[in-house]
Amino acid sequence: MKKFLAVIKREYIARVRAKMFIVSTVLLPVALSLFGIVPAIIFSIQTPPLRVAVVDQTGKMYAELRRSLEGDSSDQNTQPDNTNQPRGLPRGGFGAFKLEEVNTANQSLDDIRANLDQRMRARELDGYLILPPDFISTGKAEFFNRNPGDVVSLGALQSTLNRATREQRLIDAKVDNKTRRELFSPVSLEGVGVSGGSQSRNANAKFALVFGVGFVMYLSILMYGQIVLGAVIEEKETRIAEILFSSIKPFTLMMGKLVGVSFVALTQLAIWGLAFSVFALFGVGVLASRNISVRIPGVPLSHYFFFALFFLLGYFIYATMYALVGSMVTTAQEGGQLAIPIILILAVSFYLFWPVSRSPDSPLAFWVSIFPLTAPVAMVVRIVTQTPPFWQIALSLLIGFSTVLVIMYAASRIYRVGMLMYGKRASIPEAIRWARQA
Amino acid sequence: MSLNEITVKLDSVSKSFGEFTAVRELSLTVRAGRVFGLLGPNGAGKTTTIRMIVNITAPDSGSISLFGQKIDPKVQDRIGYLPEERGLYRRMRISDQLRFFAELKNVRGKLIESKIDEWLARVKLSEWKNKRSMELSKGMQQKIQFITTVLHDPDLLILDEPFSGLDPINVELLKEVVLDLKRAGKTIIFSTHQMEVAEKICDDICLLNRSQKVFEGSLREIKSSFGRNSVAVRCEGGDGVLDDPALVSKVVRHADETQALLAAGADAQILLKRLIDSGAVIGKFEMMEPSLNDIFITKVTEAV
Repeated sequence: MKKFLAVIKREYIARVRAKMFIVSTVLLPVALSLFGIVPAIIFSIQTPPLRVAVVDQTGKMYAELRRSLEGDSSDQNTQPDNTNQPRGLPRGGFGAFKLEEVNTANQSLDDIRANLDQRMRARELDGYLILPPDFISTGKAEFFNRNPGDVVSLGALQSTLNRATREQRLIDAKVDNKTRRELFSPVSLEGVGVSGGSQSRNANAKFALVFGVGFVMYLSILMYGQIVLGAVIEEKETRIAEILFSSIKPFTLMMGKLVGVSFVALTQLAIWGLAFSVFALFGVGVLASRNISVRIPGVPLSHYFFFALFFLLGYFIYATMYALVGSMVTTAQEGGQLAIPIILILAVSFYLFWPVSRSPDSPLAFWVSIFPLTAPVAMVVRIVTQTPPFWQIALSLLIGFSTVLVIMYAASRIYRVGMLMYGKRASIPEAIRWARQA
Repeated sequence: MSLNEITVKLDSVSKSFGEFTAVRELSLTVRAGRVFGLLGPNGAGKTTTIRMIVNITAPDSGSISLFGQKIDPKVQDRIGYLPEERGLYRRMRISDQLRFFAELKNVRGKLIESKIDEWLARVKLSEWKNKRSMELSKGMQQKIQFITTVLHDPDLLILDEPFSGLDPINVELLKEVVLDLKRAGKTIIFSTHQMEVAEKICDDICLLNRSQKVFEGSLREIKSSFGRNSVAVRCEGGDGVLDDPALVSKVVRHADETQALLAAGADAQILLKRLIDSGAVIGKFEMMEPSLNDIFITKVTEAV
């Protein structure tokens, strides 16, 4: 036991003192916030508006299109009763349009098109839209575009046309303004969870919470799995293993390393958590001072306890798999390749989040929340959405932590035999044989 | 500790890896307070034997006892093992590493700090105490490694090629340390393929070749059993005499002298007389014990 503690201590101190730890502790939040900020910046880059000519052979659509796409409310044809309709289009930035109407009088369509094509070649125009006379009934139109890859503009045009046509059809059907407004008024749907006699009304917040727990788990495993891998390979590469094994059991050694690294992970998470809480409290304070109330998801305290347990379970299961990989290979590069399947399994277990949250009491949800590799995320989802009976939670934890011990045991045996055969990477059958003999 | 006490006892121990038999039916006895040389060419099974003694790997058959009992983790703490494949944590400070390895042998507390200083001073590396091991030269790292072997004051030391890669000054330094430890009553198993080194420090030896024991016993005994059938000669002229197969079975010419192994039944006095008769000027004529190397070669060829 004292040796176990010595290994944990060494592992922890060596890693927390390393420059990498300090750098990643500071840089990761910075990188994550960049992920949030950079797309926002990119999307706010002003691109020149798309110059589109509209050949409106129906004679009814142009005004509404222009109002929607350019947001030009000064247009005299604007119908004031439509202003509170939902608008899906951003103004400026992506999807900005500059429309012009083409006078169709006294010209054949072919002449008009030839003329427009000419202007497009001269770069005076980016595209033109032809609405045939029967457009309102058939809904068929064509958009000639200099840049066919611009699906964003095409989509914006389509959805605007859609809405404008629908509106026009209602007008043609002599539906009055008031009825039209009522027809388009949006609904408001709130999810209300029912469990026992109580009702809880913050499904969205809970969902975000589960997603958050799952995501932090996913991220920590990705980051610290590699570190566990490196820690296991370290003694092989430096040839320290032989001295260590003359003093300590491989299982104790590996377990000590795993626990040591997990303390490092928890330290880092705690630092981030603390920093985040400070920011969050600050943010809540600012919002509260502006009289905006913030709802913190009302989850029973016991759930947080389970989150912590399953977080640890998830971490340990995947970390031991990394340790297993580490025991089979001789260099970190080899380990990186062999670890790819683990990342795939991890990704699958993360995406199971979706079906499980939709039907948390289905047989699928039950089995994936018992199966150790998928249990950590799946069970957390089930606990939040529709808390399963306690025996299922207990069973899932029991199977999960037993799996950790079994994998560690196998890994330590493979590690010991592998060490005696330097420079040789174990094939899977060899690894199984080594685990049996040793 | 009495001289008759037995520190390590192997009883018909075998170990194979797949098809390959590394150690076959090996029995040996290491007496307390002696330097025991485990000798043999590369691949003879020395390292596998040692790994079984320190409980890194278990024998397929046969039994091993240490200090009169079966191997268990407690017994492991009484061993100091310097493997041939050495390594230190690259980024760890020397003092931290030494403390860690001592902790792995269940030694901790204040005492260890003074012992670390003591040993670093002894191998002349005191000023490196707070450096990382990656900053040390290979020879320095090897001396640090040696300290990890002895820091926890083990009763049994197992040194696998401890002097390889060291310069002569450091070899002398470590040899002195090893002999001091022997004087302090420690048992030392010394594994090497360099017979000349073993010859100078071992009390008992065990010769291994191709997974099997060729000979075991005290170095003195085996040397006297071979008798003095070798002559070191330094002379001018008389070369033809040394090449007479009736007198000399083998001649090895060194830079300054010639070593002649007497043929069976030949007499050294007759060889001397013949040399004088042939008019050679003799600078040296000395009866020699056979070298361990010669004994080893003889024993191995006998076995075949």
